[in-house]
Amino acid sequence: MTDQDDLDTLAAEFVLGTLPPEERASVNARREKDQALDALILAWEERLVPLLHEVTPIEPGPDLLARIEKRLDELEAAAPDSVMNAPTATVTVLQQRVRRWQWSTAVASAAALVLVAVLAFQPAEQPQSFVAVFQHDDQQPAFMLTVDLDNRQLNIRPVTAEPVRDKSYQLWIKADELGPDPRSVGVLTDNMTIDQSALSQYDPQLLKEATFGISVEPPGGSPTGKPTGPAIHGYLYPTDGGNSGQQF
Amino acid sequence: MRQRLSRRSMDSESRQSSEEHHTPPGDPGVVPAATSSDIGKLIQRVVRRDRSAFAQLYEATAPKLLGTVMRILRDRAWADDVIQDAYIKVWQKADQFDAAKASPIAWMASIARNSAIDELRKQPARRSMGDDEIEEIASFQPTAQAELEDQQAVNSLNSCIDELEKDRQDMVRLAYLNGWSRDELAAHFDQPVNTVKTWLHRALKQLKRCLAP
Repeated sequence: MTDQDDLDTLAAEFVLGTLPPEERASVNARREKDQALDALILAWEERLVPLLHEVTPIEPGPDLLARIEKRLDELEAAAPDSVMNAPTATVTVLQQRVRRWQWSTAVASAAALVLVAVLAFQPAEQPQSFVAVFQHDDQQPAFMLTVDLDNRQLNIRPVTAEPVRDKSYQLWIKADELGPDPRSVGVLTDNMTIDQSALSQYDPQLLKEATFGISVEPPGGSPTGKPTGPAIHGYLYPTDGGNSGQQF
Repeated sequence: MRQRLSRRSMDSESRQSSEEHHTPPGDPGVVPAATSSDIGKLIQRVVRRDRSAFAQLYEATAPKLLGTVMRILRDRAWADDVIQDAYIKVWQKADQFDAAKASPIAWMASIARNSAIDELRKQPARRSMGDDEIEEIASFQPTAQAELEDQQAVNSLNSCIDELEKDRQDMVRLAYLNGWSRDELAAHFDQPVNTVKTWLHRALKQLKRCLAP
């Protein structure tokens, strides 16, 4: 019997559940560091899980989910940083149809800031209204930002993003005319809103070409005037309907 | 057949509360229609701290996981505690789920099963050994419709288990589904623990060979 066989047998019996408690605990600790063992365990879990077909489902009591959610609230209150552990984006490549805006290298490396949302592809005959969607990753919108260029009004709406204890979300704008660094548009209130006229100082043409982004900052906003925290990047969505939810 | 099984286990487990409902398999509108791919997507959303996805993930998987944990612990309050811990772990470890390495249901089930078996080994006396467990194993008739599992995988594993000697078939099921330890298997099958260990190893190797593509 080879060592590999022994290891596989150990993994198999771990998954079956019959290892004596002390061996079980040692396998549990060892798999954290031993990728080969971990892979063997995962393979055995996959082999045996169809047996659960023989388990009769039992409807949980009505309060169990609430109990679990309450416990999650307690844990998150104790460790608010865990909220920030969600993997933030690496650089997102916007696909066709959307004009690309590159952050300057200096900015991109200075902060892990990847904020992309370009508001400049609507056909001219369309109303001057645009929407950008800020996503945690490629699947689920975190925020939606709508900009009415005629009135220079903006409206931001959280989709899945939630207030973070002791942190603030901050909206940024970046455009050629504004120099190499993003400029703050404003800090979102605790209700996740922002002054609708915060863009009124900007020329509509500039807004049309600008890039927006949202970063997570200390309460009240970035102390440095530049984005410091993890950033949520955006994809552009059309406002002409029919394609809602589609990525570009 | 499974309906009968449900009733029997209801009768035999006096601790089960009256508001508990066993979900009859194949009853449309009761069995959640989540597929493995749906569950995978929900886990990805949970990684991003999406509480509504977490609630959906719970709705789609909790009956199966509670059934799994109940079968091992046979005590509702204890099983509820383990399920709570399991879902907290799902929330905390969702970013460790790797779809390239594990199926979503195998990943979630392993969290629940591991918690249940660890708990059982810590407090073996808290569980009452059911007289009906052997019968429960023996009387199960596969239904045509898998719930969260991949039907083809269910069929393959069942036919491979069928090739094992009868005692070893029961041992594998009693260990995996009911959480029996080597000692408990040894006592029931009236064999030395080391013999049981050897039998289990052989059975597992044989299963692996049989399942190999």
